[in-house]
Amino acid sequence: MPEIPQKKVGIIACSGEEIAEGTVTRLAALKVLHEMRRGDTVTLCLPLFLAGGEGERTFARFYPTITVDGCRLRCAARATERYSAQPAESIVITEVAAELGIEGIANRRNLNESGRRAVDATAEIIAGFVDRLLEKKDLDQERDGESAQVGAQTTPGTCSCGSGIQVSNLEIDGKLTKVIALPILMEQFNMEGRPADQAVAIDLLAQARVYNKVPLESEPGWLAAIQQEYASYCCAKRGKS
Amino acid sequence: MMNKSGRKMVVVPCSGIGKPFGTVSREAAYNLVEDLRPDATRLVALSKLVLGDEEARATVAASPVITIDGCKMNCAAKMVRESGGTIAKEVAVQEIHRQHKELRPEGIAHLNPEGQQLARVLAEELVTEIDALDRTDCKEEGSHA
Repeated sequence: MPEIPQKKVGIIACSGEEIAEGTVTRLAALKVLHEMRRGDTVTLCLPLFLAGGEGERTFARFYPTITVDGCRLRCAARATERYSAQPAESIVITEVAAELGIEGIANRRNLNESGRRAVDATAEIIAGFVDRLLEKKDLDQERDGESAQVGAQTTPGTCSCGSGIQVSNLEIDGKLTKVIALPILMEQFNMEGRPADQAVAIDLLAQARVYNKVPLESEPGWLAAIQQEYASYCCAKRGKS
Repeated sequence: MMNKSGRKMVVVPCSGIGKPFGTVSREAAYNLVEDLRPDATRLVALSKLVLGDEEARATVAASPVITIDGCKMNCAAKMVRESGGTIAKEVAVQEIHRQHKELRPEGIAHLNPEGQQLARVLAEELVTEIDALDRTDCKEEGSHA
């Protein structure tokens, strides 16, 4: 069976609202996500591990995660480990600041100069971890290539949690059902040249089951819907090539 | 200086990082605790409740709590309840936005002026609630005396 390709890194910031370092975690995570490693990273709201649902907890099964905490309580790192999986890397802003000699981080609402320096320094560290986790060698070249590829594809839906995990909305037994990770699984199968037959539907379902609850009695409906979705996916791919 | 009843109301915004509404909830909380009612309110970080930090749990259990959520998952409200807190007022940013559609928030790291205005409107609406709750608290304390 194919494995889900490790294409993205998840960044989980504590966002601690009480302290300025919490704001640093948030802004550093967003800087990496939107500016420095766009396309290579996704973010996840920490509370959704508990309040969200399976989609959030599934996240760490897909992607390695980097947690970014404001203080030594390490809420993001500990909660991620407790509710999902061990983070690949953990950063604590107070430690980063101490190591780099950044003093006086203040103003949680509008960070002062020290806070902004901490954001930049932390974002650099996170970006370095992302590159290492993705084993990037020629970053610019790969990023350009990936951007071009993404631009050429239709944009699939993502999980409502905002994590960026791709989902397919399928009608299964008359109900609209979100199937987490199906787009990325179909991509993998398509790259392997698998035809849209029943055998592929069985294999896709087996993989999808890791990330979705599939009631035994609904299995025939899931198989039919997945096979049809994969056939459409392959058709769309062929049309573009 | 403390509020009239002598206890601070706890404000817990969501930590949403994926959408501007999350940032609005955070900004509204800062509006409340820093600008509008600094003597009557205090913040508790949601991440502490996620982790189950004892001090944070004790704080939300000891005071009335206002939760401000940025999406339908209502993480702040859920976590406060799971932490044993009593929610005095539960607000969703989307609800306020529905009443003020002209204030469309954009930007997560940096909210646009409309988003900041939406946060301000939300906070001002909460001030009315806070003051009313404060008066109720005072009356209850008075009746016990």
